[in-house]
Amino acid sequence: MLEIKPIFHALCRSKIGALLLLLQIAITTAIVSNAAFIIEDKVSYLSQETGYPEDEIFSFHVMLFGGDVSSHQQFELDEAMLRGLPGVIDAAYISNTPLSGSGSASDLSINPAPEPGLSARTSYFFTDDHALNTLGLELAAGRNFNESEVIVTDNNEQRANVTIITQALADELFPDTDAVGKTVYLGDIALKIVGTIKKAKGPWLKDSRPDSVALIPYINPNISGNFIVRTDASQRAQLTSTIEDEMLKNYDKRVIVRVRGLDEAKESYMAQDTLMMRMLIVLITILVLVTALGIFGLTLFNISKRTKQIGTRRALGARKSAIISYFLVENAMICSIGLILGCIAALLLGQLLMQHFSIAALPTSYIAGTAIMVFVMSLLAVFGPARRAANISPSIATRTI
Amino acid sequence: MLKMNNISKLYQTEMVQTHALRDFNLQVEEGEFIAVTGPSGSGKTTFLNIAGMLEPFSSGEYLLDGIDVGKLNDNQRADVRNQKIGFIFQGFNLIPDLNLYENIEVPLRYRGIKSAERKRRIEQCLEQVGLASRAKHLPQQLSGGQQQRVAIARALAGEPRFLLADEPTGNLDSLMARQVMELLEQINRDGATIVMVTHDPELARRAPRNIQVVDGQLADFTLYQGAQNLRNVAGA
Repeated sequence: MLEIKPIFHALCRSKIGALLLLLQIAITTAIVSNAAFIIEDKVSYLSQETGYPEDEIFSFHVMLFGGDVSSHQQFELDEAMLRGLPGVIDAAYISNTPLSGSGSASDLSINPAPEPGLSARTSYFFTDDHALNTLGLELAAGRNFNESEVIVTDNNEQRANVTIITQALADELFPDTDAVGKTVYLGDIALKIVGTIKKAKGPWLKDSRPDSVALIPYINPNISGNFIVRTDASQRAQLTSTIEDEMLKNYDKRVIVRVRGLDEAKESYMAQDTLMMRMLIVLITILVLVTALGIFGLTLFNISKRTKQIGTRRALGARKSAIISYFLVENAMICSIGLILGCIAALLLGQLLMQHFSIAALPTSYIAGTAIMVFVMSLLAVFGPARRAANISPSIATRTI
Repeated sequence: MLKMNNISKLYQTEMVQTHALRDFNLQVEEGEFIAVTGPSGSGKTTFLNIAGMLEPFSSGEYLLDGIDVGKLNDNQRADVRNQKIGFIFQGFNLIPDLNLYENIEVPLRYRGIKSAERKRRIEQCLEQVGLASRAKHLPQQLSGGQQQRVAIARALAGEPRFLLADEPTGNLDSLMARQVMELLEQINRDGATIVMVTHDPELARRAPRNIQVVDGQLADFTLYQGAQNLRNVAGA
């Protein structure tokens, strides 16, 4: 039997503890629902599909200091050496490592500059005909570069004239037609699209257009350059540890730095977001725990304060279940009011975050989910103490305490 | 109405065994008014707790209105307490956050009585104890005597046939004690069986039948052939 009316009246008459708890529940709901949304946003960002077999790829940076070799020739020799190493599937030169937070971007237009026309900002990599295989990318249409299209130079006189772009970028620039065979312009450089890639991410996952990527077959390494190597996943660790020696064996007047897996590069780029997500998880866990402890503590306090009252209720005919339900209903009432206030506060906080931190609008499903979670958590927190209360002997009613 | 055969109550700790009641035998007939006296620690409260099914006994047999109490589970004991026994406590034991109406309503809610019937009974009981106009007051707004009258109203609201009173005037001054005692006598005349534990010999003498508990046993048995018994005879 639910004693809703007398419990409500009793709460109204001694409301301070209930008010504090109610506020705690409201604050928890408001913060947890917003934090949960941000966490979910971060999780989907951190776990997004990049299109690369990250655990099979590693990259490294090379800086030459000996002036006795032509850098582009040396890099061609290095590529050949790398491709011949046991366990290596393929290797390529690339201007920047994807997902690393470092790269180049520009507007790619359907008309040459300065003619106006549809354009899209895109990140691009200078690389060669081994890039597709090395990065594990799949063509959606068209073909790979052929060897003759790859420009390898020490000066800026020669220019590439073909490109492979991601399908996302192709759809943006040529929404109604097939992009393969069309020409796009990087400034005034005309690039014929020879193929499209199903999916690839640029250097910046946080970018608003991480899927707009172009590969351009052009190697102009000057004195430094990046290599990407694809291996069997099981052999990557061993290869990363020996790659410096292998490279120096080929030519020793240079420095090999930033040897790291593509997944490690991504992890390093996302470190701040990962940290923020973990901190938010810790924050909401602590908040929920503190609220649960608050409910647990207040119920225990109420029980010790009302020991005689509980004994009297038992003496007057309350079954144990009636005592348990008394505390559950009391808590549910406080919690419900707290949750109503909490939901309103969550919406307001969500709007505030949206205005000041360009976070998407908080979906009501998050508020509802949090409210249900807080409600269940509060019932669980109160259940133990309530059972303890139910075990108070009715004989306490006749004792002087 | 109440029959205890060889009831014993043993409190046991690792070090000590204490017999609070030992081979306690008592029979209370319907409509009696009994005062239970005895020195502190004699087992009066243990007797009251066992009689009111507030705690279990260690051995023996206890029949209340024909029900073998020893065979009841916790829920059944709660139901029998609720339906057959009215409790009046020394400290009144009113719930401070509930007004008088809600306090009296507590046992009725546990019995599942409908709202309209609850209202009728509460108003009737408040009328009977002379506090009808104060239904919305909180217990702390009343004097001790008034609070005990509310507790009596709460005990009466369930229309029990058996009232257990634990030092009902213990916390009251003599004037209020007399008023409460007169109220109990009136309730007894109306047909309820009352067992009252008291320290006060003067109060005990007003009860038609006195029993004394010493060292956990029924030590003395005195029958005052007063109006109560005469009424029983007349009734028969």
